[in-house]
Amino acid sequence: MHPALAVIFLTLFSGGGFGLMALVATVNDLQIDGGLNPLQTLVAVLLSLLLVTIGMLSSTAHLANPRNAWRAFTRWRTSWLAREGVVAVLFYPFAIAYLVWVHFTDAPTAPAGLALASLAGGLGLVTIFCQGMIYATLRTIRQWNTALVPVNFYAMGLASGATFLALIRMALGGKATFLAGLAMALIIAVAVLKGIYYFWIGRPSGPTIHTATGFNRSRVRLLDQGHTFGTFLTQEFGHRLPREQALGMKTVMYVLAVVIPLATLAVAVEDTSALAALVAAVSVISGIGVERWLFFVEAQHVVNLYHGRQRC
Amino acid sequence: MRLGLVIDLDTCVGCHACAVACKEWNTSGTTAPLTDYNPYGAEPSGVWFNRIRHYEIGEYPYNKTVNFPMSCMHCENAECVTVCPTGASYKRSEDGIVLVDQSKCMGCNYCSWACPYGARELDRVSGTMKKCTLCIDRIYDMEIPEEERQPACVLTCPAHARMFGDFDDQESAVSRAVRERGGYQLMPELNYDPSNHYLPPRVHAPIPVDSLRKKATAKLKEWVNRVVER
Amino acid sequence: MATVMEFEDHGRQEIKYSTCYMCACRCGIKVTVEDNRVRFIQGNRDHPINQGVLCAKGSAGIMKQYSPAKLRNPLRRKPGTERGAGEFEEISWTEALDMLTDRLARIRATDPDKLAFFTGRDQMQALTGLWAQQFGTLNWSAHGGFCSVNMATAGLYMLGHAFWEFGDPDWDRTKYFMLWGVAEDHSSNPMKIGLEKLKRRGGKFVGINPARTGYQAIADEWVPIRPGTDGMLALSMVHVLLQNELFDWEFLLRYTNAPFLVVHRPGEKGDGLVWRDSEGHPMVWDLEKEMFVNGMEPGAKAALFGEFRTPDGQNVRTVMSILTERYLDGRYSPENASRITGVPAETIERLALEIAHVAFRETITVDVEWTDWAGRQHDRFVGHPVSMHAMRGISAHSNGMQAARAIHLLQVLLGTIDCPGGFRAKAPYPRPVPPPNRPAQHSSPNTPLKSLPLGFPTAPEDLVIDENGQPKRIDKAYSWEAPIANHGLMHMVITNAVNKDPYGIDTLIFFMANMSWNSTMNTANVQEMLRAREEDGGYKIPFLVVVDAFHSEMVHFADLVLPDTTYLERYDAISLLDRPISEPDAICDSIRHPVLKPDRNVRPWQDVMVELAGRLKFPAFVQENGEPRFSGYKDFITNFERAPGIGFLAGWRGADGKSHLRGEPNPAQWDRYIENQGFFQYHLPESMRYYRFANREYLELAQRVGFNPTADPIVIELYSETLQRFRLAGMGLYDGPQPKDPVDRERLATYFDPLPDYYEPLEQQRIDKKEYPFYAVNQRPMMMYHSWDSQNAWLRQILAQNYLYMNRARGEQMGIQDLGWVWVESHNGRIRVQVKLIEGCQEDTVWTWNAIGKQSGAWGLKPDAAEATRGFLMNHLISELLPPKQGERRLTNSDPITGQAAWYDLMVRITPAGPGEEGVWPTFPTMKPLPGMEPSPDVLRYHTHKPVNLKS
Repeated sequence: MHPALAVIFLTLFSGGGFGLMALVATVNDLQIDGGLNPLQTLVAVLLSLLLVTIGMLSSTAHLANPRNAWRAFTRWRTSWLAREGVVAVLFYPFAIAYLVWVHFTDAPTAPAGLALASLAGGLGLVTIFCQGMIYATLRTIRQWNTALVPVNFYAMGLASGATFLALIRMALGGKATFLAGLAMALIIAVAVLKGIYYFWIGRPSGPTIHTATGFNRSRVRLLDQGHTFGTFLTQEFGHRLPREQALGMKTVMYVLAVVIPLATLAVAVEDTSALAALVAAVSVISGIGVERWLFFVEAQHVVNLYHGRQRC
Repeated sequence: MRLGLVIDLDTCVGCHACAVACKEWNTSGTTAPLTDYNPYGAEPSGVWFNRIRHYEIGEYPYNKTVNFPMSCMHCENAECVTVCPTGASYKRSEDGIVLVDQSKCMGCNYCSWACPYGARELDRVSGTMKKCTLCIDRIYDMEIPEEERQPACVLTCPAHARMFGDFDDQESAVSRAVRERGGYQLMPELNYDPSNHYLPPRVHAPIPVDSLRKKATAKLKEWVNRVVER
Repeated sequence: MATVMEFEDHGRQEIKYSTCYMCACRCGIKVTVEDNRVRFIQGNRDHPINQGVLCAKGSAGIMKQYSPAKLRNPLRRKPGTERGAGEFEEISWTEALDMLTDRLARIRATDPDKLAFFTGRDQMQALTGLWAQQFGTLNWSAHGGFCSVNMATAGLYMLGHAFWEFGDPDWDRTKYFMLWGVAEDHSSNPMKIGLEKLKRRGGKFVGINPARTGYQAIADEWVPIRPGTDGMLALSMVHVLLQNELFDWEFLLRYTNAPFLVVHRPGEKGDGLVWRDSEGHPMVWDLEKEMFVNGMEPGAKAALFGEFRTPDGQNVRTVMSILTERYLDGRYSPENASRITGVPAETIERLALEIAHVAFRETITVDVEWTDWAGRQHDRFVGHPVSMHAMRGISAHSNGMQAARAIHLLQVLLGTIDCPGGFRAKAPYPRPVPPPNRPAQHSSPNTPLKSLPLGFPTAPEDLVIDENGQPKRIDKAYSWEAPIANHGLMHMVITNAVNKDPYGIDTLIFFMANMSWNSTMNTANVQEMLRAREEDGGYKIPFLVVVDAFHSEMVHFADLVLPDTTYLERYDAISLLDRPISEPDAICDSIRHPVLKPDRNVRPWQDVMVELAGRLKFPAFVQENGEPRFSGYKDFITNFERAPGIGFLAGWRGADGKSHLRGEPNPAQWDRYIENQGFFQYHLPESMRYYRFANREYLELAQRVGFNPTADPIVIELYSETLQRFRLAGMGLYDGPQPKDPVDRERLATYFDPLPDYYEPLEQQRIDKKEYPFYAVNQRPMMMYHSWDSQNAWLRQILAQNYLYMNRARGEQMGIQDLGWVWVESHNGRIRVQVKLIEGCQEDTVWTWNAIGKQSGAWGLKPDAAEATRGFLMNHLISELLPPKQGERRLTNSDPITGQAAWYDLMVRITPAGPGEEGVWPTFPTMKPLPGMEPSPDVLRYHTHKPVNLKS
């Protein structure tokens, strides 16, 4: 699949934003590590909104005809994309209300506030699920058509959210041993889940050039694709990553999304270094960016079978 | 009704007539125009609803070339419609034709991702997704002579390798062709239940020749003239 | 169903019927026009040729009409600029035609042969030929000499009809169809329609072709063959048939010259000629009367085999005896043929037996009463339902004439000529073998030629040579070098004119022919020749006029450019006097008429020709008072009569429009054609549909309407006396003109075999096959066949770059990678191209799509168009001359009989390009845009009205 930055940024940033909001709600709700103080809460919710907004705006850049973007909310009964839009939009009033509440009351853990936070966080989690399902329901792309996709999205949204939260807490002078630990745990979960995913997509399955053409008994080769140069189909679906390059990118991804964040978070906790936490946050979001790029580039749409691939 | 096409791979010579007739009709059709990019430039490209691919089956000298036209299959389980967030993509209940309402499409490409058959192409200039309409603006237009109320591709196909009809009608030409010739769907494992079917190449029975061989090699001198009147 | 909705407004649209001209197929089209723009071009359902269907080219006609490469004004090369520099200025039609008239009048008054007029892909040779005849120049032909003259000549000298456009398989009845060397064809849509019919009926389709593309894709059996060896394959099948006594005795005895007696007198004059009585009748041995009788006497019971001694002491043998002795020889055995053709011996034998099985064990009949040439009634037509078609792959070799004859021989042995299920003739064919018109031989100032410049020689006396035996035509057609060059040798014109061999010319007019690019051999050198100057600074070809509708590579070299209209903007007559569009069951012709108004200062070349003919006062084109006789092309077509009652259009003749085929001119004839959707068809009664070479009713009709001079039966000539006469001339045994040059003598003696035979193509005889091991051929893709339109915005999306296609296993063995770059070298040059490895390619063969490569800047394409930067021409490798040989003048690289350009005789060597060697080579400088040309658009959104959107 064509790795359109607009779409990569959507799930990358909004995933982090929703994860962050969900964690703010959880931490304040359960008073984990003493909960967040009003300032930490304000900054965290603001950052969450900022990330979600970057993601959402970025996604409209992907639309060829954004004039009609408003219509994207109409088919929520059937379309995960519409559901995502609806839920993401619903997220805003609650998140903003919580922000306003905290700003005026300084009581982030008051029941009314917590209700707003929980609703916003919950909607954020639902949005992440919708985002995952946008991909996971596509039978045309074997690498996406799996429950591992929403699970991965959760792990990554929460891991980046947790890292951001730890950073915020530390930057604002708080101790973040638990939050950093949570982030590290989530990052390890990301590493494990992504490992499972990569193992899973490595196994051949699904349609082949034989089932695509109906010629099952002999070797089928493309003689001519019927157009000398690219078409929408080759531009949108034709991307391919050579195995070595994929391995290289995955290494980069693991270093950025797992190794560096784990190390810097450990340092951050050890030295109470907000700078280290910042490095962790930047690294984790970059790593997940690489992961999201790979997620697209490695996705092999079955239409490629018609352009000569033996399997996808 | 379940309208769709049957493609006869036994007779398709790969001439691209259907693809160009489609382009020609539809560039002034209901989703017109079908934009062309760099039409006279280095790498010409454009929006087409019907593309012909060519495959080689088997290896020399036992290879066969198969020409393979593909357009929207008007699937029963049209995921492209399910996934469309705006409602621009829809499947008509009365005849099963899958269409894109150009006034609603926001150009998110999601429907094209859901289509296994590469039937949808984004028009970068209008920003909307376009696809085969089964020439809905021909087949129902009462001002077009009745025998021409067919998709442009079917109307033009010189090898009559394309048939148009109703798969719900067991006695329609398309249903019969599928029944009699072992017509099949592409990538059935995806369970899209495409309406369009493909007829496999016919297998020609061997022609008996053994009895024609003379036992002894003929010698000119041995032939007896036959009496035939000029 | 009326759930839908709103449709486009047909009230603003107009339907017009005309004839397609995107290739030579000439399908009927139904054009929907909206505000003088084309909404839709579709096939005309009522049209006899395409019956409603239309190919990709036909539908892409819209993009031809709106091509940015359209010429807009007459152009003159800017005075003082170099030819081929692309510097032009616009001039008016008056200036252009005054300039041309002055020049042509001077030539016509002094030496008319100084004008050479050659035409490319036109379909109006009856008019251009008449024009040349009236001008008085011998130097006219169309492009058949580099197209497929071998096919026409082989058929017309043997059957009376031919492949190409002169015959068709009986698609409704044939059960076995063998296609030789055809990927796509002139008869493009009819063949597709027919193949589907054949396959639906369960018939078998065998494709004999080095490449499995085009029609071969759907062949039930593909026979990959080495290019240029088809003649051997056919003759080996003849061998198998004879060996198993599988031939149609009755057919051979009744309708062919198989029982004719041939004089056997080796080394003496008259050897190999048919033994005739004093009145010239061919003699046969009557088995019942046990005596020699006139073979044309009805009821003669001729011996098919036998050697006899005539009363005057001559040894004679039947044609069939000679033929059988020849082909039973082990040289034609499947085993030996296999070594030459690359086709396994078992396959050759099986294919021969298969066609025999279908011909003789699956015989069909059509129960219709008919009368044969001798007046005998028959109650049915017997059919041997095997049919064949062959075209360029057979034709474009220097042994193509004989190869095509070999295929015809196979057809005749099976009795499949013009019978139900067989290979049927299309009116005005069959014609006598060969047709009775001879080429004009003499020209003189201000005088029309006595006959058309092209005709059908039957003996050395018919050649167009001077008293020294030197060619009189610039292309050397009808000279000893190409005696039966019935379509001329357009591919030699530039070379010969520049070399002044046989003489220099003054003015060269090319119409619709891209002779500086894809339609010439040796492209780069030909471009040099077009620029070549004399020592005094003048050009070796002093004046070059190019007539075209588009900015082609040839236009670039013109001194004067006359811009033509497109096919949707003019009148045209697709005449029975020209290249027939008839179907086997109907005599047909058709017209074009303007469906759009031109938006530029262009004129149809036909109109311009008629005007020039009037200005130059051609006798047939002026009245007694010297005023032009015709107001234009339309008027000319209505009123011109070639013979009383016979004009260009056969339908609705007579003052009342009620006479068909023959009748007085009808002033309203064009209107009748337009009313009848642009075509005319005269359905033949069932009794006239088969065996027309011997069908009295048909032969009488053909005589009445002027197709043939007499109603005599047409005897199929398995054995060609014409060829034998030339051969005798080569052997010094002919009472008449004989060549002096030993080279000519040897060529005549070797290749003018009265029986079809196989010989190695001439160029290949001179090439070291170890050095150049690959056969290299080219073909046109279906969506572009016979259509130059690489500028077509839709078609070029399908194909804008060609590759060198090569057998995968063979390529891999040689270390050549898919999509790698290679050098391809021939004796004439080298090119660097990209390879594509495929299965469907005979292992000793490489091929490419022709005419995809374009010169940068041509055809309205941007200079960086893929056609110019990645596409290539194989033409650079092909020489128009044979490799030189000691003691021999340079000879044309053509069939020694017909002068057919031997494009496909090329042998090449393939070597992987070195590291960093990428991109096509050679490349050519970018052509300048013409004055007044608008830049080609970057985005195209063609439509004729605002779309009626359907709401969900």
